[in-house]
Amino acid sequence: MTEQAMVRIEDLHKSFGALEVLKGVDLEVARGEVVVILGPSGSGKSTMLRCVNRLEEPTSGRIFIENDEVTDHKTNINEIRARVGMVFQSFNLFPHLTAKSNVMLALRKVKKISKEEAEQIALEGLARVGLDDKADVYPIMLSGGQQQRVAIARALAMDPHVMLFDEVTSALDPELVREVLDVMKGLAKGGMTMLVVTHEMGFARDVASRAVFMDEGVIQEQGTPEEVFDNPQNERTKDFLGHIR
Amino acid sequence: MEGIIEYLESIKFVHLFMSPTIIWQSLPLLWKGFQAAAALLIVGYLLSLPAGLTAAFMKMSKNPIVRIPATFYIDFIRGTPLLVQILVIYFGFPLLMPGWREFATGPIGQISVAGIDMSQFVRAIAALVINSGAYLAEIFRAGIQSISKGQLEAARSLGMTTMQAMAYVIIPQTVRRILPTMMSEFILLFKDTALFFAVGIFELTLQARTIQARTFNMSPYIGAAGFYLMLTLPLGRLVAYLEAKLAVSETGREPENRQERKRRKAARAKEASA
Ligand SMILES: Nc1ncnc2c1ncn2[C@@H]1O[C@H](COP(=O)(O)OP(=O)(O)OP(=O)(O)O)[C@@H](O)[C@H]1O
Ligand SMILES: [Mg+2]
Repeated sequence: MTEQAMVRIEDLHKSFGALEVLKGVDLEVARGEVVVILGPSGSGKSTMLRCVNRLEEPTSGRIFIENDEVTDHKTNINEIRARVGMVFQSFNLFPHLTAKSNVMLALRKVKKISKEEAEQIALEGLARVGLDDKADVYPIMLSGGQQQRVAIARALAMDPHVMLFDEVTSALDPELVREVLDVMKGLAKGGMTMLVVTHEMGFARDVASRAVFMDEGVIQEQGTPEEVFDNPQNERTKDFLGHIR
Repeated sequence: MEGIIEYLESIKFVHLFMSPTIIWQSLPLLWKGFQAAAALLIVGYLLSLPAGLTAAFMKMSKNPIVRIPATFYIDFIRGTPLLVQILVIYFGFPLLMPGWREFATGPIGQISVAGIDMSQFVRAIAALVINSGAYLAEIFRAGIQSISKGQLEAARSLGMTTMQAMAYVIIPQTVRRILPTMMSEFILLFKDTALFFAVGIFELTLQARTIQARTFNMSPYIGAAGFYLMLTLPLGRLVAYLEAKLAVSETGREPENRQERKRRKAARAKEASA
């Protein structure tokens, strides 16, 4: 057997009532790969990402994380989620907890790690995103960029094998985008497997091993960022790139 | 002192409505009534919490067999007067319970709870819990639903079970947000205990009414009002304080802290220049 895929999506379909959002998505992500997903609004990028850790229940198709089938209801989804980090557009920090406690909560309750050890991991994690001085601060006192970095630290603390990013810089003021992208670049260069929904072309060119263009609920085109951005084959891709440039 | 009281009693209005002598003489009975009202309030409210939480989760259920009864219960209770509910529950309870007469006249039924017979007390509590449970259910439901969906998703994405997410993420935020409203419900419930005078429970209002009927003087009611205020005034202030604090924590502004910091800065500047 060749190197086993980190994430494998097979013929994924997802409908919300009568609305079919995903119409057969196939995608394989190797260990260490950084895959950037682009596409117009409503094309199903978030839905696909959310199916990977089953925040959204797929209508049909199969998804694997390493050896485990996410879509099999016999697998312990919480165990898989602890291995799949997710960062959201709206940060979703827990507002009643300090930055440090945000990072510690799942370590304590899901991984059942002792308080001292969890605290240690949390402080290291916050230092990694440059926020060790904000450990005892509540989210409301942090800027958007800082909040998002805490959210990344919170996901990383679980020691995930793959990270999902859903437009994590879209809600940020332009001057705060960079600090978050820098953290993500560092992660990518450190060998983290990442699925990143973003429209940050610079980021994609810099670190993505692959760019995937989605529209109408299917993957229309994929390749290296250079191939997809500079020499798109698909008409929809061309049209989309023309719009966002 | 005696002179002052004599003078006050000589004013007709004061004598009829707030006679110091009569209020003073009413105090022991009013105090008994206050204890009875407080017992009803505390036991009733504490039992309303789980009732309300259950009804709230039932109403949020996707399953209509669970949701519809809860919706009906909440709408029915909130849409009808408490007095009617008390009359129905208080006098309906014995009709439903087999062996009620034996219980009521037996040793357990005669146990006194803050001066109320157990046989009366349980019926009053049933009425309070059924009533307050419906109001609390709506408070809980609105509170839980006011927490953004992203909170649950973030917790779940970290591997927490739904129960863990509820316990460590959703409920703590909900409680913080609805604490003032929950306390307002507590205050309302305390005032509502007065309605039990209609079924002959010797709570504060019925005690006052009994003395009033004997003396043809309104002062016992004013005395009773004093007892109600003893609880409702400080609690009301506390609610206002919590609401203000909540507004700060949700907007992220901490006016007191900032003022404090400014003052210290100014003091330091003065020191430096001196
Ligand atoms: N929970 C839901 N219920 C019903 N419809 C939904 C739900 N979630 C998403 N949709 C619909 O599915 C479609 C795809 O949504 P999705 O969020 O995956 O798109 P997207 O590619 O991430 O778009 P955007 O760039 O705007 O984030 C949209 O039409 C959206 O309205
Ligand atoms: Mg999206």
